[in-house]
Amino acid sequence: MSTDRPVAALDRAALLLQLVPYLLGKGEVSVAEAAAEFEVAPDQMRAMVERLTVIGLPGEQGYWQLPHDLFDIDWDLLDRDDVIAITNTVGLERSPRLTAREAAALLAGLQLARSLPGFGDSELVTGLLSKLARGASTAPAAVIVAPGPVDGVRDVVDEALRSRVAVTFTYRAPGAEPISRTVDPIKVHIANGQWYLQGWDHLRQAVRTFHLDRVGDARVTDIPAAHGADPVPELFAPADDEVVARFRFPREVAPLLADYLERAEIDDADDGRAVASLRLADEQSLKRLAARRGGEVELVEPAGARRAAAAWAAAGLAQYAHES
Amino acid sequence: MNLVVALMATEQGLTKDTILSSVAGYREQLEAGASKDALEKMFERDKESLRGLGVPIETIGNRADPDDLREARYRVPTAEYALPEDITFSPAEVALLNIAGGVWGSESLSADARSGLRKIRALGIAVDEPIIGYAPRIRVRDASFAALQRAIEQCRIVTFTYLRPGEARPRERRVQPLALVEYEARWHVYGYDLNVDADRTFLLSRIVGEVTLTRKGFPAELREGAGERALEGLRAVAERQRALLEVHPGTEAALRLDRRAEQAPQGIRVPYVDLHVFADELASYGPEVRVVEPADLRAEVIRRLEATLALHGGAE
Repeated sequence: MSTDRPVAALDRAALLLQLVPYLLGKGEVSVAEAAAEFEVAPDQMRAMVERLTVIGLPGEQGYWQLPHDLFDIDWDLLDRDDVIAITNTVGLERSPRLTAREAAALLAGLQLARSLPGFGDSELVTGLLSKLARGASTAPAAVIVAPGPVDGVRDVVDEALRSRVAVTFTYRAPGAEPISRTVDPIKVHIANGQWYLQGWDHLRQAVRTFHLDRVGDARVTDIPAAHGADPVPELFAPADDEVVARFRFPREVAPLLADYLERAEIDDADDGRAVASLRLADEQSLKRLAARRGGEVELVEPAGARRAAAAWAAAGLAQYAHES
Repeated sequence: MNLVVALMATEQGLTKDTILSSVAGYREQLEAGASKDALEKMFERDKESLRGLGVPIETIGNRADPDDLREARYRVPTAEYALPEDITFSPAEVALLNIAGGVWGSESLSADARSGLRKIRALGIAVDEPIIGYAPRIRVRDASFAALQRAIEQCRIVTFTYLRPGEARPRERRVQPLALVEYEARWHVYGYDLNVDADRTFLLSRIVGEVTLTRKGFPAELREGAGERALEGLRAVAERQRALLEVHPGTEAALRLDRRAEQAPQGIRVPYVDLHVFADELASYGPEVRVVEPADLRAEVIRRLEATLALHGGAE
């Protein structure tokens, strides 16, 4: 959310349409608070308000506009206290309708919010869906988010979150034996349809992230979650990834590799192909990537991953050996 | 902005001449000697920009001859401009909308959501305690999403190049786009495929290059209920297509597949929507899963594994 980006003329007009109802709703509001709400720098907010005061109704033929034909603010208040208060309006008092795009963005967000435990098909969501559709200036494009399968683990974690107690479960990390963990839940992330729990891990004495698909036998405890409000890092914060991997792929399948390519350096290769270089936490996932994109992605480095991919595919094929 | 205020304040509408000679912004230019032609162009541009912002501008034509725009009057009907008075939001609703508005990872949709939220918050509603503990996110990485969304809004036929898995080269498609659907974390566009005269669902990640909006439109009625139809279609396919799989317990494959599975006497049954997308996933599990049936899915998985083996130096 950049606050020092210059505001383009059209964006400025859109903001001004929203500014009047906002200021009227607030009564008095500090420049800083209004700037934060509109995601602009305080200077820009001040400029917007000043610009507002030269907007008004057309003057009578041949005369310039009279003061009451223009928007006005309490200038003393602005100069002295950095506070904005509108003193005269000539229109724009009501919030504009949502644009089709705004309504679509909120409608789709609501569908995802509906998958949160406790929000299911609640009247709250259904009511909002129809209000948003009705509040749009033109029909929003249908942007649908299908809810994924839900299981008991999510409900248990939700209950722990709400009652601010620790949750205990068996966790199976990739390629490791299951371990029993007790965690003060802090935040549940839902990304790409996957659910992750960030919480204070009693065993490691630190904040850890758990993929809920890897969680089993979850139970709510009666241990108060002492670290339930601890700060958490970004979900996929860059880590000290050690392995440098390189793979070759045909350009047209790039969209299918977006997960990897967005943090890779990409160089042209011959034949409409490209080579991606990126850092990874471990090379275990590469053989799975190669098999998933069977024949399209060729691992170049590390050599171990290349061999592992061949062995992985061969072991997979061995299961079908008696058939062919 | 002066234009909006002027057009909202008038009941019967203002003629172009009145606007150019009295509304601030045009008036100064006219007095400074700008040509009327240039000002009229400026007015047309401003009108279009405002419509783009969702400001409805009504043109009231000559009653005797509606096509004659020389005497046309322009106004902004307040009822269509403003959020209807009877739409109000409770504090709990605003709290939930705040979560809904924060889900977008992509910059443009996220800006749209925040701007929509601002309009709603400006209604001066108190907000419940924020709903804490949840951070749902939707990511849209497909470049074609924005163009398709615009095409749906404007009811315009699109063309794009689509690479169907299993086909050697991509093909040009001509589609009436009706809905965008995220299903199992992948974005699809549902629409009427004019090449085959039937409803089709396309994976956005298999669209190669740009989506082109043609000048040709389609009736807006086609969009009604399209989202539900698309979703039902995908669910019906998943209902029909169930693979029988043998999965090694305790593996990554078991973890990922069991949640979606039904137990069967010989292994598990997992529904799938797209043969190729599912074959991709199953191939990635290598020796952790064996496809019993259907035969076409098994063949696709074997083909991927063979190609992977061949590309990485073959068996040792």
